[in-house]
Amino acid sequence: MGNEAAAAVAAAEAERAKELIHYLAWDVAPGVTIHMQTMLMTWIVMILLILLFVFASRNAKLIPSGLQNVMEFFVEFIEGLVTGSLGVKGWKAIGSFFVSLFMFILVSNELGMLPNVVHGFHWTSPTNDINTCFALSLTVAIGVYFVGVATNGMGFFKHFISPSPAFLPLHLLDELTKPLTMALRLFGNILAGEILLIILYQLAPWIVPEFWVMFSLFIGFLQAFIFTMLSICSYEKIYAHH
Amino acid sequence: MVNINATLIAQAINFLFLVFVLAKFAYKPLAKMMEDRKNKIASDLEAAEKARTDAEAIQKECADKLAAARQEAAAIIEEATKAAQAAKDKAVADTKAEQERIIADAKAAIASDKKAAMDDVRAQVVDLAMAAAGKIIGQKLGTDEDKKLAGEIVDSVMSK
Repeated sequence: MGNEAAAAVAAAEAERAKELIHYLAWDVAPGVTIHMQTMLMTWIVMILLILLFVFASRNAKLIPSGLQNVMEFFVEFIEGLVTGSLGVKGWKAIGSFFVSLFMFILVSNELGMLPNVVHGFHWTSPTNDINTCFALSLTVAIGVYFVGVATNGMGFFKHFISPSPAFLPLHLLDELTKPLTMALRLFGNILAGEILLIILYQLAPWIVPEFWVMFSLFIGFLQAFIFTMLSICSYEKIYAHH
Repeated sequence: MVNINATLIAQAINFLFLVFVLAKFAYKPLAKMMEDRKNKIASDLEAAEKARTDAEAIQKECADKLAAARQEAAAIIEEATKAAQAAKDKAVADTKAEQERIIADAKAAIASDKKAAMDDVRAQVVDLAMAAAGKIIGQKLGTDEDKKLAGEIVDSVMSK
């Protein structure tokens, strides 16, 4: 029996070794598995973002320069998107959430494009893990209910039966598919980008992969933008009548 | 490759923590500064607009004053010209009057001198005539009647 279990573990290890992307799955408790690579990269992104924003805003000046300018560019970029859909009221209420969401996905997506210099240490995007993508899309989807009830009270649920109660199944389906598609789109794009990059490095180690890196950097921005834009749209029904 | 597990929960917590930290410590001062800047630019633009309208008002006032000053100067010049013309006319008239008076005086003086000379001539001619006539008739003529007669003769001769 013991041999069989050991063989199963060995087989799983071998299976994992063949995979291109390693998540470093740790069983921290029986039945509780954590992808340590994803966690580590997420923490790096978080620390990076916190440092960037803290340094940018610590000596915030009326005439911005350097880092403050860069961060304000991103904040204003998201401000434009949010006020366009949710109005100034929505921006004041939950604008910072979308700034954090966009910056987190953007930095996460680009992190996996960093060159792997140290042997045994790989830069990967936290968003190449389906768990991260679902965590984000579910946070957004569930957040809609919290913000909606906090803003409009129980009247928020009226949108499920508008324009008529016959639309209830469609609305429910929409509520389920939206986080699913958002997560899978982000996950698929980033994971595919990283896998293709690894394969390209194996096929043609010089120059060729760099073109894909450039394109992936662009895709990283694009996916962060799409995810943020769709998130903002899902909050639109809260502020639509205001 | 697609294993949904506890990482999902951990990532959601991570993300919410990030949102909280950024909103609390980093994002607020940045947004405040951006808001301040927006307000400052708006107020600066307003002040600039006000300064511009003020300058325009001052410029208009200056132009008005300049035009008024020009008008006043023209009026003064016209008045002065008129006064000068009047003074000139008066001087010419005065001179003419003086001239005429002097001429009249001179004529009067000449007339009186002439008359005096004629009277003198006449008296002498009368005396001379009487002396001549006395010598001719051999008698001395000297009465008033003789003089009168001689005078009449002289007068009739002189008036011819």
